[in-house]
Amino acid sequence: MPVTKVVMPKLSEQMESGKIIKWLKKEGDRVQSGDILAEVETDKADVEMEAFGSGVLRKILVAAGNKAPVGSLIGVIAEENDDIGAVVAQAGSGAPAAAASEAKAPSGAKPGMADRPAAVPPQPKSEDPAARKPSPSTGSESPGSRRVQDAVAAASVPQPSGDGGRVKASPLARKIAAQSGVDLKLIQGSGPGGRIVRRDVEAASTAPAAAAVAAAPALRPVAQPAAAGAEYEDLPLSPMRSAIARRMPLSKAPVPHFYVTSEVAMDRAWELREELNGLEGQPKISVNDFIIRACALTLLQHPGVNASFQGESIRVFHRVHMGIAVALEEGLITPVLRDVHAKSLAQIAVEARDLAERARQRKLRTQELSGATFSISNLGMFDVRDFSAIINPPEGAILAVGSVRRVPVVSDEGLGVGRRMALTISCDHRVMDGAMGARFLQDVKKLLEEPLRLLV
Amino acid sequence: MNQFDVVVVGTGPGGYVSAIRAAQLGLSVATVEDDRPGGVCLNWGCIPTKALLRNAEVVHLFEKAADFGITIDRFQADYAAAVKRSRSVADRMAKGVEFLFRKNKITLFPGTGSLTSKNVVEVKGEDGASTLEAGRAVILATGSEPKSLPGVTIDEKTVISSNGAVRNEAKPKSIVVIGAGAVGVEFADVYRSYGVEVTLLEALPRIVPLEDEEVSTQLTRSLSRRGITIKTGAKVSAVKPGGAGAVIDTDGGKLEAEQVLMAVGRGARTKGVGLEALNIALERGFVKVSPTMETSVKGVYAIGDMAGAPLLAHKAMAEGVVAAEAIAGKSPRPVDYGNVPSCTYCRPQIASIGLTEAKAREGGRELAVGKFPFTANGKAVALGDTEGFVKVVADKKTGELLGVHIIGPEATEMIHEFAVGRTLEATLEEMMHTIHAHPTLSEAALEATLAALGHAIHI
Repeated sequence: MPVTKVVMPKLSEQMESGKIIKWLKKEGDRVQSGDILAEVETDKADVEMEAFGSGVLRKILVAAGNKAPVGSLIGVIAEENDDIGAVVAQAGSGAPAAAASEAKAPSGAKPGMADRPAAVPPQPKSEDPAARKPSPSTGSESPGSRRVQDAVAAASVPQPSGDGGRVKASPLARKIAAQSGVDLKLIQGSGPGGRIVRRDVEAASTAPAAAAVAAAPALRPVAQPAAAGAEYEDLPLSPMRSAIARRMPLSKAPVPHFYVTSEVAMDRAWELREELNGLEGQPKISVNDFIIRACALTLLQHPGVNASFQGESIRVFHRVHMGIAVALEEGLITPVLRDVHAKSLAQIAVEARDLAERARQRKLRTQELSGATFSISNLGMFDVRDFSAIINPPEGAILAVGSVRRVPVVSDEGLGVGRRMALTISCDHRVMDGAMGARFLQDVKKLLEEPLRLLV
Repeated sequence: MNQFDVVVVGTGPGGYVSAIRAAQLGLSVATVEDDRPGGVCLNWGCIPTKALLRNAEVVHLFEKAADFGITIDRFQADYAAAVKRSRSVADRMAKGVEFLFRKNKITLFPGTGSLTSKNVVEVKGEDGASTLEAGRAVILATGSEPKSLPGVTIDEKTVISSNGAVRNEAKPKSIVVIGAGAVGVEFADVYRSYGVEVTLLEALPRIVPLEDEEVSTQLTRSLSRRGITIKTGAKVSAVKPGGAGAVIDTDGGKLEAEQVLMAVGRGARTKGVGLEALNIALERGFVKVSPTMETSVKGVYAIGDMAGAPLLAHKAMAEGVVAAEAIAGKSPRPVDYGNVPSCTYCRPQIASIGLTEAKAREGGRELAVGKFPFTANGKAVALGDTEGFVKVVADKKTGELLGVHIIGPEATEMIHEFAVGRTLEATLEEMMHTIHAHPTLSEAALEATLAALGHAIHI
């Protein structure tokens, strides 16, 4: 059985280092490939780190509470009788990844070749895992207006392929990557020493989620201490806030947004929901679950909206992976409900609640944070009439959901009271036109206004 | 019973390299050889023919001494002496393999080896029999032998194969070479240089049919100019004794010559190795192997010519390394069969790697093709050797080096910059930015690259 090096995974595009929150396995524990080894804190979320090999966790090199640069050795999996001395020694000399590395240069960064900041800035105290508590739940609906989520390769956690900052790739791989819009930082190289070669890029460019939008170099703001009685105070950006700050302009500036709003009569959906929730032994269903289900079904009919701009082509998805924005105290994240078109309302209700719950506890897995083909952001619980959301590239559209309000309505019988809800879709004009967005909304509206269709 | 970790049957370039690599990795190794160590390559193929071709080149230089202002009234080229020299070169190389075996503590068992079970090899030699038991694996590397046409027997007198051609100290007055692949054109070159009347027959529409079409055209021109009669698309129906030696019936009429050289290809040596008893799978006459060279029977490996095309010594060596490392528990990178250079040592030499232009075009890919003639290369002009060109075939969009075809002086040495480039996945641009020393023949490689990019300097 080969010796498996456990390295700090690159869990997002901007991630340079990660903090081990805790090890779920101890030295000497037997592990299978796929077992969760540890929880790692990144700029986005607390992510569970899987084992990529089987054997015995022989050595833990970075203790809980300590940080390690991406790609550095943090543990070793091997058989009991395997000699791991050389691997561990190599880590000691080549990668100063151990506990003391907090303020040191990333492993492998040599003078003259470091193309990124040499020091990892100290983290604000509020990010100390001991001090953090799960954010209080903000209601049964999943609110959110903005979302942050890097397009991380969906299938697997990418291993760093370079020596920290520099990506090792063949010239041909670089060219093909540039032409197909693949971010080399997200690819694991299969060539000598982890070098990215042509076949790696080709494999990645056929996997939908790997067509990531390249991120701007990370801006690392430095905390200014607040003086007593000062006129203002500069709060340090939390890792999540800084990711949002970096990420959102990358959508709003290059993606030409347009917006289409429609009003939906929610009376029948409201009644149906109350009826369903009155049934014993049934999961509680939210308005948002209705909307998720309606969008999933409609997207199958409107593949042009379930699409992504790819530079020289438009990728139309035949499956619906729904991003559901979840507000957290310090920001928000958008976990992904996969293959939602194939799920019943009850299933959606259970799974969406679980995702939101774990998002608030920062217990999501990396693969649950990427790969959405469409997203929904709901601010209904904040009594918001309507709003527009920012598209999360490479997705082509996002739906912003307002609250269900009781309003005077005019019908044939005269003036009455009805429940109305505003839906606003933000669309990438490179992928679709106004009429496409409008037709999509029309069909979502139809489903919600004839909600029995959502049950069949 | 003699016990070893690895038993290698056959010591050609595949066998001896795998034996040495296995020994380097700390395994005890026995080799079995029914001829001299080094196999066909060192004894009867690659090496001795290169010695003969060098003689042919020296004769050629004497012939054109006047171009250099050197007057030679009369010179004699002794063909028997050329063959003797060739034999001594082969002997030296075979001794080199014996030395390497001693150095790496590899035991050589002379005799014919065959598998009696998946880990036992019986050796029958002149000095008796031995039984070798392989603790880890057996590597079969029994190579290949010349094929003939149906109904034509190779007697190595009138109808000879390359085996006879490298041994015969007497040259014929005339010879018909059947098959214009590497073996055929190399012997056609040697014989022609020594004044033999040579007719070269090829069943396919062009000589060196596996090479790029423009290379075939150039070689046809060069060989014809030297007085070699070339007939392509010629099907041989019979070879019979008669006339000066043999009468060859073709669909284009009868030919007569003192000798016939059969150069229609080689077939795997799979008989008498014990494959049948173990039910080792074959595929189109070759042993079927995995990417780590393991046969359908676990612990039995096959490498080199017997394991399939291309039948080239350097491919066998690469496979030998893969097999040895796999047996030693390493995880070797499999042989990249798309990146094996192919070399023919006639004059002008031919070397190629990757796809021909025609193959590269299949599937409608857009190409960037650049060609540079040696007539525009300073070093080639100074050498007085300007036949041929370098041709680079690349993908227009990415600059990927799809194939390179060289015909001309030292082509076989020049191909490797492209082999390295392809291994590292360099594109036209990296090749372009590589400064080539002046004056060298290799500048033609740079210029062909520039030509593919649309801006060759010297043409």
